[in-house]
Amino acid sequence: MLSDKITEGFENTNIRTITELHHRMIEEIEDYAIILLDKNGIIRNWNKGAQQIKQYKEKEILGKHFSIFYLPEDLANNLPQLLINEAFKNGRSSQEGWRKRKDNSKFWGSITITALHDHDNNVIGFSKVTRDLTEKKIAEDHLRLSEERYHQMISEVQDYAIILLNENGNIENWNAGAEKIKGYKSEEVIGKHFTIFYTSSDLENKLPEKLLQLAVKEGRAMHEGWRVRKDGSKFWGTIVITALHDKDQAIIGFSKVTRDLTEQKLAEDKLHSYMRELELQNSELEQFAYVASHDLQEPLRKIQTFSELIQQNYHDEEFVKRYFEKLSSSAKRMAQLVKSLLNYSRLSKDKSELTIINLNSLLDEVKQDFELLIEEKNAVITAESLPSISGNYTQLGQLFSNLISNSLKFSQRDPEISIRSKIISKENIPNPPFPLSHTHYLNIIFSDNGIGFEQQYDKIIFSLFQRLHGKQDYAGTGIGLSLCKKIAENHMGFMTATSELGKGAEFNLYLPFVVS
Amino acid sequence: MGNIINCLLVDDDLDDQEIFIMIAKTVNENIRCITANDGAEALLKLNDHSQVIPDYIFLDVNMPKVNGVECLKKIKNIERLKDCKIYMYSTTSEESIVTETKKLGATDFIIKPALPFELKTILSTIFNN
Repeated sequence: MLSDKITEGFENTNIRTITELHHRMIEEIEDYAIILLDKNGIIRNWNKGAQQIKQYKEKEILGKHFSIFYLPEDLANNLPQLLINEAFKNGRSSQEGWRKRKDNSKFWGSITITALHDHDNNVIGFSKVTRDLTEKKIAEDHLRLSEERYHQMISEVQDYAIILLNENGNIENWNAGAEKIKGYKSEEVIGKHFTIFYTSSDLENKLPEKLLQLAVKEGRAMHEGWRVRKDGSKFWGTIVITALHDKDQAIIGFSKVTRDLTEQKLAEDKLHSYMRELELQNSELEQFAYVASHDLQEPLRKIQTFSELIQQNYHDEEFVKRYFEKLSSSAKRMAQLVKSLLNYSRLSKDKSELTIINLNSLLDEVKQDFELLIEEKNAVITAESLPSISGNYTQLGQLFSNLISNSLKFSQRDPEISIRSKIISKENIPNPPFPLSHTHYLNIIFSDNGIGFEQQYDKIIFSLFQRLHGKQDYAGTGIGLSLCKKIAENHMGFMTATSELGKGAEFNLYLPFVVS
Repeated sequence: MGNIINCLLVDDDLDDQEIFIMIAKTVNENIRCITANDGAEALLKLNDHSQVIPDYIFLDVNMPKVNGVECLKKIKNIERLKDCKIYMYSTTSEESIVTETKKLGATDFIIKPALPFELKTILSTIFNN
């Protein structure tokens, strides 16, 4: 054994031995409770730190078993003895747990028990070092709890899909809202790329990539659009993607918050279509008022004039005969106008079911109706094979019939009428008259070699009872093209007309088309 | 025999042309009336320097090709027609068109009457005042 005598550094003191110095060192440590236990666990030594932490004074505690610091549930589990046994066997044991002070208040202790051996290596007792980590424990618990709560909050939010993406856009976290909105369970979707929620056309346009790039550049990216659920159905989502950064400002991932606004979107769309319908009805009403005040008044006025003239000249047989004929033709014209006006207004109320229509057989039927006129005028009608389309058979028949009738009527030589069609995506339709609701349209083109019209009249010709030609040159009430326009609108489509005077006319019909 | 009164009637309705001329002749026997079936034909005739400049022009409003309002604007731009009296002659009684044509220089706006004697009264006031 080494000499116990102090050699260096501690000369000017009344402490003479290293043993005593050691003793003082331990005694005066305040932050650690350092306790000497005999091999039965009885407290044999006590320091300042022990008093500070556990509140007992030395004289109160010496001779007591160290299990005095343990809570009833730990005592029931025999924890003090187990710790002693382990230290006895392995040299040391350690544990963290709640302990009680003299006043029964609790502290979180970090404990290490070390076995002490004599020269023959027999265990003669234990040192027990305890540190009070209550504050750290509380802070840790608080943090953990708050993290758990935060996590729970996000995971249980139902109305928003809150998703964590890694820096490549792969899904790392999934909440209840995401499951509710998108239909995937967490285990089905984690690890997948977030592009699975996008429609094929958005994928073609690289929308997901563009949104991530924008989020990287601007911090966040917002978007509204149709997204795809697990079952393939669509929902209208509003999306905010926010870039997440580490402390060096490097991108470590993205949060993506999505809200399902399908109902609002549908309601909004419905509102817009109601508004459009209302506008249409309003302008129709205006046309009706005009028709009633002008077009119907004209034959009525003539009937009055003619009957008055007949009365004044009743003795002139020739005159009377001539004016009776005029009177009767005015009455006929009046009847014709009223009838076509009725047809037109009935069209607005026609809500009969849509069927799949083979346009080729529909055209054949219309051609049969005009068989005599076609022969008489020496007309040639050439038609490409047309697709089938969902629509109202009677109405589309009427539309074809009116257009062909016009082409036969407004011609000065042998009429040549051609009918062809193509499927066109809405982006390629120039200047549609209203925002188009479908992605694809069937464009049927009716062209002829007739007298045509000046392009400036391309809208007027579709108005009720508007005529570009004198009544004596071409017969008709001026309602044919208004009916065509109306039928196209009933089918959520529209019509345009192009022509040059004397160079034939081309009528373009656009009807929504579902590409299979 | 008094002075000849030259009229141009522009109307696409042949019945109305016939009635107008019939009544006009009963109002004043010196009336000479030529007709045009629409505004385009009227302008063609008015721009033909071999034709007599009419004293009165009667213009229907709703006509194919060039309508009455357009025709009126063009006539007002022709210097040698500046002394013509132009009457609109239409079934239409729409306030906006009446105001517009008067602003454009039409002397008056005649709403086509239903009864012949009414037309006779109107034409008498115009020709025999």
